[in-house]
Amino acid sequence: MPTFKFPPILAAAICCLLPSISAVIFAQESAGQLRNNIDSEILAVQDKGVGNPAATSEDYTFARRISLDLTGRPLTVTALETFIGDNSIDKREKLIDRLLASPQYARHMQYEFDVLLMQRLPKKHVAPDEFAEFLRQAFHDNKPYDQLVLEILTADGAEKSNRAASRFILDRELKREETVRVIGQVFLGRDLQCAQCHNHPQIDDYFQQHYYGLAAFLKRSYLFTDPKSKVVSIGDKIEGDVTFTSVFTGEEGKTQPRMLSLSEVIDPPADKEPYETKPDKTNRGVPKYNRRLQLGPSMISDGNVAFRMNITNRIWSKMMGQGFVEPLDLFHSANIASHPVLLRTMADALRDHKYDLKYLIKEIAMSKSYQRTSVWNSDAPPAANKYYTAAIKPLSPEQFAWTLLQSLGEVEKQTKAAEATLLSKDKDFDATTAAGQMLVETKVTAALKRPLEDIVTVFASQNTALKFTASANHALYLINGPEISQRLATGEGYLIDALLASDDDAAMIEQLYLHMYSRKPVPAERKYAQEFIATAGEGKQIAVQELMRTMLCSAEYRFVR
Amino acid sequence: MPMTKQRNKGCNAVDHDLSRRGFMGGGLMAGAMAGFGSLLSPALAKEMKGQQKQILQVYLQGGVSQFESWDPKPGTTYGGPFRAIPTSVPGTQICELMPHTARKMHLLSIVRSINLRTNDHNQGMLFMEKGRPAGTYPYVGSVASKYLSHPNNPLPGFVHITTRGLSGETAGFLKAQHAQMRLEGVKPPKHLGLPKGVSEDLALRSENLRLQLNQQFKTGRSRSLIDSYDTSFDQARQLIKRTHLFGEQDEKELDRYGRHWFGRRCLLARTLLEEGVTCVKVTHHGYDTHAENFNFHVEQLDEFDKTFATLLGDIEERGMLDNVLVIVYSEFGRTPKINHKFGRDHWGTSLSVAMGGCGIQPGGIVGSTNADGTAVKDREVDAGHLFHTYLQAVGVDSQQNHEIDGRAIPIGDPVTEPIKELLL
Repeated sequence: MPTFKFPPILAAAICCLLPSISAVIFAQESAGQLRNNIDSEILAVQDKGVGNPAATSEDYTFARRISLDLTGRPLTVTALETFIGDNSIDKREKLIDRLLASPQYARHMQYEFDVLLMQRLPKKHVAPDEFAEFLRQAFHDNKPYDQLVLEILTADGAEKSNRAASRFILDRELKREETVRVIGQVFLGRDLQCAQCHNHPQIDDYFQQHYYGLAAFLKRSYLFTDPKSKVVSIGDKIEGDVTFTSVFTGEEGKTQPRMLSLSEVIDPPADKEPYETKPDKTNRGVPKYNRRLQLGPSMISDGNVAFRMNITNRIWSKMMGQGFVEPLDLFHSANIASHPVLLRTMADALRDHKYDLKYLIKEIAMSKSYQRTSVWNSDAPPAANKYYTAAIKPLSPEQFAWTLLQSLGEVEKQTKAAEATLLSKDKDFDATTAAGQMLVETKVTAALKRPLEDIVTVFASQNTALKFTASANHALYLINGPEISQRLATGEGYLIDALLASDDDAAMIEQLYLHMYSRKPVPAERKYAQEFIATAGEGKQIAVQELMRTMLCSAEYRFVR
Repeated sequence: MPMTKQRNKGCNAVDHDLSRRGFMGGGLMAGAMAGFGSLLSPALAKEMKGQQKQILQVYLQGGVSQFESWDPKPGTTYGGPFRAIPTSVPGTQICELMPHTARKMHLLSIVRSINLRTNDHNQGMLFMEKGRPAGTYPYVGSVASKYLSHPNNPLPGFVHITTRGLSGETAGFLKAQHAQMRLEGVKPPKHLGLPKGVSEDLALRSENLRLQLNQQFKTGRSRSLIDSYDTSFDQARQLIKRTHLFGEQDEKELDRYGRHWFGRRCLLARTLLEEGVTCVKVTHHGYDTHAENFNFHVEQLDEFDKTFATLLGDIEERGMLDNVLVIVYSEFGRTPKINHKFGRDHWGTSLSVAMGGCGIQPGGIVGSTNADGTAVKDREVDAGHLFHTYLQAVGVDSQQNHEIDGRAIPIGDPVTEPIKELLL
């Protein structure tokens, strides 16, 4: 049996053969931009003895990375070829801008924040799809992030207008253990779970009063079931205080609502008639002064530095594969950030730009640090938190699902079908306009709902904070799972048909590489692929199917390179 | 044996005995060959069989009643209707619902003084698995997979045979390859097998190609994620080669194990242990007896008792018990108080666990509850102590640290320690 041995020199050869990087990519730098702070701060934290950071990635790698990071799927081969063929010096910036403006960006951010905020919890009171759509719309509109969080923390679910946003609290049914913990984790970067029963034993600055300070915002809230509609929403009362006892010391404490170590949020003097609507069996309680409604404003207030540090660290981690602070929900004084000054600078810049996440993402994407290659030329790469090379990042289940469906040709097939349908309904329909693109994206996503969910179910894990899992179940699915096998079948309009239609094996293999890896094969790879097909012994169709399957199972496909 | 001779009257006793012996011998040999022998070199198979410590976890999901199992209190306020019976260990009694297990008690020890301080299913289960009341830690099965699996053992290190519940994340901060592989009862794993039209030869070539692609991709890049990813494919390929494990189960064995789901699962568990899976967990569902506690325990333990005793006996007969730690546990016990539906509710305050085999002193009892079984009387321990004990028993020093990306994380909870008197 033939074996395909890659000579050790091959990796180096790939680097040499691919187009060299134009030194002018970064020519348009202007002083004072955040991207420059990023690069200078990262260089300032020298990694002794490892030399200079890795070089800038070539265009194919950059295109795959930026597209997966911003839209959750690789560029289509057409878009990739357009980008490669573009000779303008600002083509990377143009691509970043185009992707950030695309409907796929909003969809990708919807998935990311849905998983972060809801941790794949099943439906309780609010339809998960409505919450997802609320998020998608917010990212489509580039709603300031602080505004988005304010809406999520304030929604009571009683009005149609805030019903979707209320899922975050309502579907956790105000249960303290779940609600307080998740608020600390996802908005403050602090898992305060252990501070529930005592000041944290190992972490000096997680106090019981932090946990109960957050709990106090919600202590007076309750689940109200409308007697007629049976719809459950959040009602509030004017009484209910938080006290706590340390199981270690027996010391008792109490607190008004507070955000970590900031001062307590003191109730205003009580009104003679404290309720707008008094709580009873038929009426949801609405006090004139509502402690719960202080949670959002306290969270996003300028004094609450943890809020902007957390989101900055999370976005950085998404883009770079490694947070300044890891784990992402363990900010504390003994777990200092790898680049504390930079983190603070970026967090303040985000606030100064009115929590415009696209601004932050673009500045990171435009930095040299983001655009480095993930290949290190000598023995051991420096620690990931030095950012001297790009990290390889596992695709999230949603990214993986879209990538699979796209590279097998399903997305293109559905896109054509959606465009045809839209055109048949409206002869002036234009798929190139922003509105047209959004209509198409919505239709394609709806058409692929089932296969996307099926793939996500296989690869998703209960612990949504985990970046990567790989089990035999995953591998079996990739080898023999129905969603993939169906799309490797011929005669259904998938990529396999186009590949088999080609008489020129070399050209076919090039197409295959562009679809699977967003790059061209180097000559050695082309040769091995040709040999694989020639010696597979079961006919060309099965050989090509098997070659595709093998590439789907490879690490280059599973990780952002 | 006189009885056998009597029964064999009418046919040729000598031939019968011979053919029977021949069948048994051949069967055992074939079993051994189909195990390690089929894929590993004979020397390695021997080495693995001799050295690899393994764990069998039998999880009685929902919370078995300690009164109706390991810590009976007949004739007391909360004791319920059942008697206590003597066991193969003089002086040790267990509930009469487990007569077969009673005959094997000399292989097991009981801890009767566990206080978990939680009455929540999930919290109790996580505490029992992770040995920590909270936090992201690996399950004992994943820890075993990491430290006990032979480096050349290509099978998943931790296999859980169950049918219900979410797929939990068991590996914590350990590498993904140590997460549990979940089997839906005795059904084969989903998507097991090769795609249509793909021969074994072609599959092997694809696998070689995949490895080469990955080798190239690894060059100059951080390896650990890619290595984990590779391992998942190794495990998948090994399972594909062992599709036969999930086929029809032997009728005679099913007669012995019982034809119910639990019997079938335990028979599969035995096969997987023989195949070299490091930790096999079998879940027996249905102990959450808030109503009709006594009737349900009659049914549940009837299934459990004979099957478990058969499995334990088989492990012993095969000479594996010195290397296999056997644990029977729940996420908590059940209330002393019997509610108005004749049920017992959640009770994490005083419960029992049974264990035996590898590294465990047999025939012992650790700790006790008070006369009415309402509280631990002496030698109180929690799931942290148990976690240490399990790992020490299989030779993992649980008081050492995991080394994870330059961080040292204690393997067992440093505020607890092993139950030394249980360890050999």
